[in-house]
Amino acid sequence: MADRPSILARTWTTPVILIVILGVLQLAALAVGSGPFNQTIIEIFIRVVLVVGLFVFIGNSGVISFGHIGFTCLGAYMTAWLTMLPAIKKSKLKGLPDIILDNKLAYGWGLLAAVIFAGLAAYAAGKVLMRLSGIAASIATFAVLAVIIQVYSNWDSVTGAQSSVVGIPIVRVVWPYFLCAIAVVLVAYAHQISRSGLALRAARDEATAASASGVNIPRERLIAFTISGGIMGLGGALFAHSVGVVTPDTFYLGLTFITLSMLVVGGMNSLSGAVLGVVILSIIIQLLRWMEKGVDIGGASFALPLGVQEIAIGVVMIVILMYRPSGLTKNRELVWPSNKLSGWGKPKAPADGKTV
Amino acid sequence: MAQSLSASDVSVSFEGLRALSNVTLDVPRGKVTGLIGPNGAGKTTLVNVLTGFQKPTGGTVSLDGESIVGVPPYKVRQKGIARTFQSGRLFADLSVLDNLEVTGVGLGLSRHEAAKKADRMLEWIGIPHLAERAAGGLPYTDERRVAIGRALMLEPKYLLLDEPAAGMSAEEANDLAQLIRRIIAEVRCGLLLIEHNIGLVLTICDHIHVLDSGEVIEVGPPALIKASERVRHAYMGTQAETEGAVL
Repeated sequence: MADRPSILARTWTTPVILIVILGVLQLAALAVGSGPFNQTIIEIFIRVVLVVGLFVFIGNSGVISFGHIGFTCLGAYMTAWLTMLPAIKKSKLKGLPDIILDNKLAYGWGLLAAVIFAGLAAYAAGKVLMRLSGIAASIATFAVLAVIIQVYSNWDSVTGAQSSVVGIPIVRVVWPYFLCAIAVVLVAYAHQISRSGLALRAARDEATAASASGVNIPRERLIAFTISGGIMGLGGALFAHSVGVVTPDTFYLGLTFITLSMLVVGGMNSLSGAVLGVVILSIIIQLLRWMEKGVDIGGASFALPLGVQEIAIGVVMIVILMYRPSGLTKNRELVWPSNKLSGWGKPKAPADGKTV
Repeated sequence: MAQSLSASDVSVSFEGLRALSNVTLDVPRGKVTGLIGPNGAGKTTLVNVLTGFQKPTGGTVSLDGESIVGVPPYKVRQKGIARTFQSGRLFADLSVLDNLEVTGVGLGLSRHEAAKKADRMLEWIGIPHLAERAAGGLPYTDERRVAIGRALMLEPKYLLLDEPAAGMSAEEANDLAQLIRRIIAEVRCGLLLIEHNIGLVLTICDHIHVLDSGEVIEVGPPALIKASERVRHAYMGTQAETEGAVL
C-alpha cells in the first residue's frame, strides 16, 4: 500500500487560491490608488478577517454564534487604548491604568494586544459556554455580546460610554490589512486541517459518534472559539485603525447580521465560502451604496432610497437559503483542478450500488 | 485482575420507568458475548451505560477491575471501549478515511499517523477503495463496515456492536460473522454483540445474555439459550418461530 500524501500536500492549493483572490484586490487598490477605492478594499479585507474568524468557530463546529462581534468590540477598544495619544486619553478616558494613559504604542502592537485580549476573553467565555449545544449555545453567545456592549456602553471613564472614541491613529495604506487577511486565512486553514479541526467537524456532523470516537467536544470547541475570538479582535482593531473612531454601537446587531450573512451566502462550512461570501456581498453592497448616492444617466440622476443595501442583503440571504442552503460554494473548498482531493470540503459521492 | 468489561447489578430508570433492573453482564477479552432480547428489552440502554452515555441509577460498571461509572464517553473510548450504533452515525460530510482518522486523532495521534492507521484499517477490513468516498449515502453494508472500522481503530480492548447485521441479507450476515471471527482472532478484544439475528448470535457467540423488560432472564452458552423454554416464551414466542429464527 503506497503512502497517501499528507493532508497539507493534498489541500495546499485552497489557501493559495484564496490568497491570489485577495492579491487581486490588493493589486486593484495599487492600480486605482484613489482614497475612496482604497477604503473600499480595506473594508473588504477587514470583513475577510471577521468572516473567516466566524468560520473558524461556526463553520467547523456547526454552532451558530451571535456573540463574536463582541470580541471585535474588545479588540477595537484595546488598540484604541494603546495607540491613542496620551493627551487625548487623559482627557476622555481617565479611568484607564496610568501605564496605558502615559504611553502610546505603534499600531502593530495594538493589533497584537487586540488579538491576545479578545482571544483571552473568548477563552474565558468559552470555558463556560462550550458545554452547551444547539440553540442554547447560540443564545448564550448572544448574551455574551449583549454583556460586552452594555459594559462598553456604560463604562464612561474607560470606554467613553456611548460617546465616540476619537483620535485612534488611522492607517490608510492597504497592505497591512491585506497581510492581516492573508494571515487569518492561513491560520483558519491550519486549524481546519489540524487534528482539532477534523475532530470538531466530526462533532458537527455527529456529536454522539464523535464522543464515542474519543473526541472531547467541549475542548475542541473551546480551541476554535478562542482562535476565532482572537481573529475577531484583530478585525476590530483593524476597523478602529481604518476609520480612527469607535463606539460600542458599531459592534452590535448590524455588523453581526452582515458578517453572518456573508458566511451563509458563501457557504458556512468552507473557508473558501467565507472569503467568497465577503467578496461577492461586498461588491453588491458597494454597488448599492453608489446607487443610494445617485447615478447620473442621460443627465438625470437616479438614486435608490437609503436602506436598500440592508434590504438587498436580506433578500440575497433568503434566496441563497431557499435555493442553495449550503452557500455559493456548496460548502466545498476551491482547489486547483490537478490537486482535487476527496475528503476536503465535500468528498466525492459514493459509487452507486458499490458494495463490499 | 480479571480482564473483562463488567456490569454488576446495573439499574437505570427514566422518570420512574425502569429500563434496566439489576443487570449483571461480563464481557471477557478474546470472546464473543451475545446480548439478545426483544425490542425495548434495554439492550441499547445497557450499551449506553457500558460506554458512558448513560449513567446508571444503581450498580457499577468496571473495566478490567476499574470503575468507569461517571466517566464521560470520550474518556471511556480512550480507555479502550469502542462501540458502533444501530443507525451507523457516520460523519456524513467527511470521507470514509476521515471517519476513521477521527478516532485516531481522538485517541491522541497526529493527523499523519491517524491517516496511516486509517488506511491500514480500511485495507484490513476490506474496503480500501472507499477511502476517499463521502461517508454520507454509502450503501448499508459499506456503512456498517466503515462504522466497525472506525470503532476498531487503535485496537480497542472491548468492542460493542449494536445490531451490526440489521437489514443485511444472509450472505452479508455471513461475511459479517467472518469479520467478527477475524476481529477476535487478530485484535483479541472482548466483543459484545447486540443482535436480532439469532442465527448469527448462536453461531458465533461463546456466551449469551438474554434481556427482557430490563432484566436478564437467561445466561449461558448458545446450546443452553437455544434450549431454554424461558427464552422461547419471552423472546421468541412460539416454538415454530424459534426454529425459523435459529435457521
